[in-house]
Formats: sequence, structure tokens, C-alpha cells
Amino acid sequence: MSAFLSYVLHGIAMGSSFALVASGLIIIYRVTRVVNLAQGTFAVFAAFTTSTLLGAGLPHGAAELLAVLVAGILGLLAGLVAVGKRGTSPQASLIATLGVAIFCYALEILIWGDQPRSFPGLAGSFELSGLELPKQYVVVVAATILVFALLEGFFEWTYAGKALTACASNPYAATLVGIGVVRMSLFGFMLGGALGGVAGVLLAPLSPMSYDSDLSLFVNGFASAILAGLKRPVFALVGGLIIGMAEALVAGYAKASYQSALALLLTLAILVVQGARRPVLQATEE
Amino acid sequence: MNLIEIEELVVRYGSITALDGVSLSVSQGEMVALVGANGAGKSTLLRALSGVVRRAGGKVRIQGLFAHVPEGRQLFPDLTVEDNLRLGAFRSRERDTSWVYQLLPELERTRRQRAGTLSGGQQQMVAIGRGLMSRPDVLAIDEMSLGLAPLVVRQLARILAQLNQTRGLTVLLVEQSALVAFSLCTRGYVLETGKIVASGTTGELAQSSLVKDAYLGSVRKAAS
Amino acid sequence: MRGIMRTERYALPALLLAMLCLAGLFDETVLSLYVLFALAAIVTVGVSLLMGQAGQVSLGQGAFYACGAYTAGVLTTQGAPGLVGFIAAPFAAAALAFVIGVPLLLLRGHHLAFATLAAHLIFLSVVGEMTITGGDVGLQGIPRLRVGGFQFDSVLSYAYLSSFALLVVVILARNILASRPGRGLRALSSSEIAAASSGVPVGLYKLAVFALSAAFAGLAGGIYAFYMGYLAPGSFPVLLSIEYVVMAAIGGLGTIAGGLIGSAVVLLLVHALSRLATMSGMPSTAPVILSYAVYAVLLMAAVLFLPGGIMSAITPAWERIFRRTRQ
Repeated sequence: MSAFLSYVLHGIAMGSSFALVASGLIIIYRVTRVVNLAQGTFAVFAAFTTSTLLGAGLPHGAAELLAVLVAGILGLLAGLVAVGKRGTSPQASLIATLGVAIFCYALEILIWGDQPRSFPGLAGSFELSGLELPKQYVVVVAATILVFALLEGFFEWTYAGKALTACASNPYAATLVGIGVVRMSLFGFMLGGALGGVAGVLLAPLSPMSYDSDLSLFVNGFASAILAGLKRPVFALVGGLIIGMAEALVAGYAKASYQSALALLLTLAILVVQGARRPVLQATEE
Repeated sequence: MNLIEIEELVVRYGSITALDGVSLSVSQGEMVALVGANGAGKSTLLRALSGVVRRAGGKVRIQGLFAHVPEGRQLFPDLTVEDNLRLGAFRSRERDTSWVYQLLPELERTRRQRAGTLSGGQQQMVAIGRGLMSRPDVLAIDEMSLGLAPLVVRQLARILAQLNQTRGLTVLLVEQSALVAFSLCTRGYVLETGKIVASGTTGELAQSSLVKDAYLGSVRKAAS
Repeated sequence: MRGIMRTERYALPALLLAMLCLAGLFDETVLSLYVLFALAAIVTVGVSLLMGQAGQVSLGQGAFYACGAYTAGVLTTQGAPGLVGFIAAPFAAAALAFVIGVPLLLLRGHHLAFATLAAHLIFLSVVGEMTITGGDVGLQGIPRLRVGGFQFDSVLSYAYLSSFALLVVVILARNILASRPGRGLRALSSSEIAAASSGVPVGLYKLAVFALSAAFAGLAGGIYAFYMGYLAPGSFPVLLSIEYVVMAAIGGLGTIAGGLIGSAVVLLLVHALSRLATMSGMPSTAPVILSYAVYAVLLMAAVLFLPGGIMSAITPAWERIFRRTRQ
């Protein structure tokens, strides 16, 4: 029983960061209709930045926040490349984000080398009726819940959040009303970048990252986003937890190398079923 | 004073010329009709006024604030009526919606409803309300009567007339059917495949054979 | 479109010229670079057609390349003659494409892009687990290709083999584009609804192009297996699939000549940069950094400023010269 629970707990912790990556993907997709292939690199970049800042003497908390800020700026730059130029088609933007991701590889290896890096999170663990609960897990979950609460609040109660939603649902009307679609798109990218950064900063103490860790983060994040239906960012929390727990259980009871394949197959299955239901006419609206 | 002045406006979509040298003007306090069939270029003209499409030629002069209520309402379906209205004030920053509910009392009870769940007539009212929130000097409405029952259209027309009389709101009404447009407006233009083919007071236009046959067929039916 | 078709005519003679020059004129380094180019070009022509003509985004062509390679490798290490492995490679890849294409091609745009990426990853994970493929360690000791007494040993022989394969692929692709199905294909990429209403069997065509481009990749993969003699999942990372997209995008999506040009440009650039980066004084990670940076910049520049690729830039100039020589 305790093995099962420890897998579940691990899955929840991982799933939380997948959910954060997913929320960034969803926000960017809703506002710009572009799937950001560089979403994982924001996490990796933030994680690396945190380790450097901590090494430079900055205290915990400050280092992470600064790293998230950096990730936000990175997101903004990615947005400029992807949608900054007028007349870029969504397919072109998709490939442009691929370019951004690969460029980040080069940057990351240049600054930090190609070896995996990590930094210590909150050390120690709680003892709960015989079960060991690492404190970092609690940090991850608590931070995730906080971020999602803030996101919900932003979209449900603030004027800027509503403007962003408006831009996502009807860019034409938004333009007529004076909401600049490009500006909102860049803001969406910045927000997505920051969310990816938070994911990286929370995950790194649990699992060392190297420059190519972004791929699995993106894949898991996208899978969670698909499960969430690519609509409201809040649903990504559920999607991420499902993927995280499923993977942890597969890794625990079956083979670890199959865990990513599982997430992929699950996502593909859902995508295909959705795709089969949609008639040709509707698909062209994408 | 002319709030809108368009001179020889040319708009192209790629190789297609949507507007070919259109000239029209709207003075302060007027209610002007722009009538034309589907594809004549009416929406393109409004988009040119809003700055959404680029001009290939000609001049556009707008004095004061211009609000464009697009065809098909184009609301934000997942947001509430209240939010839709408040977003209309994105530019003006005066986010208070109470005066709009006074003008359109039927919207008051739909305040917290998601805009996508409203009826066509209610949605059109929200669209007009959203346009009004930007405190415009000129309100241009594209295809207001599309898909709405005549009763509802008359109600909306009454509201526009009221706005024109009590608040001096200048209105540019763009329609396929001349019936509503001519009954509400004093002056009008007829647009056909990107060119103005007729203009004058709505009384004159209603008499012209061109307009009668093409755009006022329903009048004869209603009369008989 | 017509203009691009005309310049395509020069792709074949240029290739033949290059092949003639191969005969013992260059050293091993250049020849091995050429082999890489030819193999990449074979796959890239397929990707270019898939993405440009049929409008499908594929981030998983590397999986079909790997499929062809492993088919040839496994068959020959299990005792089958080289020729069998060589021929089976493209067919195996095409078969795989048919099987996963049926569900996958229900998707569009970024969903399809993600699905093809996922397919590549799943393929790698499966191959890494099977014992017959050597698992994570890989397949070793793949015998050299023997065809009727002649054994392909030298780099030069593989240069000729891959050139021949490329020639076949280019001719095949050209004939398909010029044919009636080819036109239906182009109609598909601009508007599926319009194509469907004019009688084009949309689903079938999409599947056919998908399988054909997979077959091309499989063919190249098969040659790769014999050329290297050794395979591992690590030889076919996701980055490989991305490389093909970069090459196709830079050359010009939808064109055959673009597939050749793109592969040549990217490979030459990366090679030049790695030579630069391995000069004394540069850190050991320099080659990787530079190649990633170059890929990235090329990709972003191509997609933002030259969506038609290099072909769209040179085609108008080409046309002018062509018209002048005509007169």
C-alpha cells in the first residue's frame, strides 16, 4: 500500500508541474491559436537560472522569483518571433516556436553546458503514518494551487483577464473594441513563459534537468492540455494530475521507460477520437 | 459639420477590388442609410472606417469617436453581458454600464448571463450597447436586422431614433433591406459592387425605380 | 506553381552532373558528406511534398527513417540476403505509415504535428525495448550490402548507391506531381473542402502521400543501415525529424529542388560550422551550440521571411534568365 501511495504522491508532484506547463500552453493557444513548441524550454531555462542565482548567493524564493521573471521575458521574446510579424500563418508560427526552442538549446549549452543540473529544494520530509512525504512535494503542490488560484482570479475578476479572454474568443470584435490583438498575444506569451518558469523552478529539485528535458515536459504538458480540452487553464490542473499519476504508476509497476509512451498514447487516443468526431467543415476553422 | 467624410475610397483584397472609388459623408446628428446587396462592399466600408483593412486609395476623415457594431453581433460568447458591455469601454475607460441599461432596460435582467446564450435580438442589443460604451459620436451598425423578427427590429430602430434625438448620436445604418433603413434614416446611399450608384434623401431613393425593384420588393408586398 | 515546376527540370541534370563528378575526384570526407546529403535529400523531398503539396505537418519522419534502417538491419542480421533487407526497408516504412496514418490523418495542423512527434517518440521507446533490435544498446554487425556478387564496401560505392536512390525518388516525385493525382494533391493543400467537392478522395490521397514520403524515408534508412553497419535508438533522435523539416522549409516547401537545396545548404552550413568549432581554442560544446544556433536562426528566418524557402527567392530570377535565353 505504501508503495502505491508513494507512487501517487510522486505523480501528484510531477503532475503539478505538467499542469503548470499545460496552463501556459493553453493560454498561449487560446489567445494566438499557436501551439508553443518552446513551452518546455521556459521551464528548463528558469531552472538553470535559479541554480546560477542560488550559487551566486541569492536566497531561496528570491532566486526562484527572478528566474520566473526571466522565463516571462523569454516567453515575450518567443512571442515576438512567433506572432510579432504581421501575416504569419499559424503553421509558420508553430515552426517559428520550434526555432525558438532550438535556439534556447544553443543558449543553454553555451551558458550552462550540456550536463544535467539541479538545485536543492526544501530538504527533509514529513512523516505521515509511516509514509515519507518529502517537503518539496508539499512546496510544489502548494505553489501550484496558489498559481492556479491566481490565474482563475485573473481571468474571472480582472478587466485585463477578461480582455485576454475576449481576444481569445473573438479577435475581430476585440480589435473593433480597441483591444490590440498583437499586444494581447505578446502578453499571453509572457504569461505562458512565466508559468513554464514556475513549473521548471518547482520541478528541478525533484528531477535534475538538462537542456533536452524540455521535450518530455512539453509532451507531458501538451498531453495534460489536451486532456483539459485546451479551454480553461484551470482544467489543466486535473489533466496534469491524471498524466502525472498515470506515469508514476506505470513507472512503479511496469517499466520506467514506458511512462512517456503511455502519456503519448493516451493523448493520441483522445486527439484521434476528437478528430474523428469533428466533421471536415469544422476543422477548417482552426 | 461632417463627422465622416469618405473620398474616392478604394479597398482591395488581393486582386479583388471591394470598393472602387466610394465617396460619402455623414454630418453630425444625421441618420444615414447605406443599402446594398450581399457582397456589395458594405462591411468593407465599415472596416475601412474602423481601420481594420488598409486603404488602397482615397481619403477617410473621421471627426470624433467612431464605433462599429459588426454584422453578426460578434459578441464575446463566454463572457457575461455585463463584461461585454464593459469591454466596449476598453478605449474610453469609463466602465460604468448603468446608463446603457437605462437605455436598453431589457438587458438589465440578462446582466449576468453569458452572452452566447441570449436570443438574437438581445445579442443585437448587447452589441449596440457595447458600441455605445465607447461614448462614440458616430455609431455604425452593420446588418442590424439580419435574422431578427420584424418586431424586434422595430424595437431596436426605436431605440436608435431615441438615441439620435435625445443624445444627438449620429447613426450610419448599413443594411441589405432598405425597408428599415429608409424608415429610420433621412438620407441614404446605395452601394453596388463597390460603387455608389444612388444617393439622396430616403424619400427620393424610395421613389427611384432602381431602389424599388432591387431593395424594396417587400414594401409592395406589404402594401398589397 | 507552374514556375516552380519549370525550375524543377534543372534538379535532375544537376544531380546527374554531381554523380558523374563523384567518380574518384573527391576525398573520403567530401564523399561521406555527400552520402549524408543524399540520404537527407531523399527524406527531405518526401517531407517537402508532404508539407508543401499536401499541407500536412510531420515532425516524425525520423521514425520512418529509423523503421527502414531497422528493417534492413534486423532482416540481414537474422540471415536474410542484403537485397531483401534493402527492398523491404521502404515497404516496411510505408506499411507503418499506412497503419498509423489512418487514425493520425484525422488530425490537422498542430494536432497532427504533435501526433507525428508522439509517434516518433513511441517508436523509439518500442525499439529500445525489443531484443531483436538490440534494445537500447543497438544492433551491431549489420553485413555489408551484397547485390549479385558486388559488395558495397567503400564510401564511394555508397555515394553512388544513395545518388541512384535519390535519382529514383526525384523522378518518381516529379512524375507524381505532374500527374492527375498530383494536381488533386495540390488542390488538397489549398482547400480540403473544395478538393472534396470536386471529387478528390481526400482521405486516400492524404494517406498515400504520407505513405510515399515514409517510403522515401525508409529507403534512405535502409541504405543508412548498410552504410553504418550499426544502429541504435540514439541514432534517430527527435531532432532528426526536426532537421528534415528545417531542410524542407529552407529549401522551399512543396518543391523537389527545394528538398535538394535545403538539405545541401543545411548540411554544408552545419559541417562548416563544426569544422570552425573544432578548431583549437573552442570549447568542446562549441560544435553543438553552433549547429543548434544555426538551425534555429535558419528555421526562424525561413519561416518568417521566406515562407516559400530558397526556391521562392531564386525562382523569379531563374524565370527571368529562362525567358531571356528563350528570346
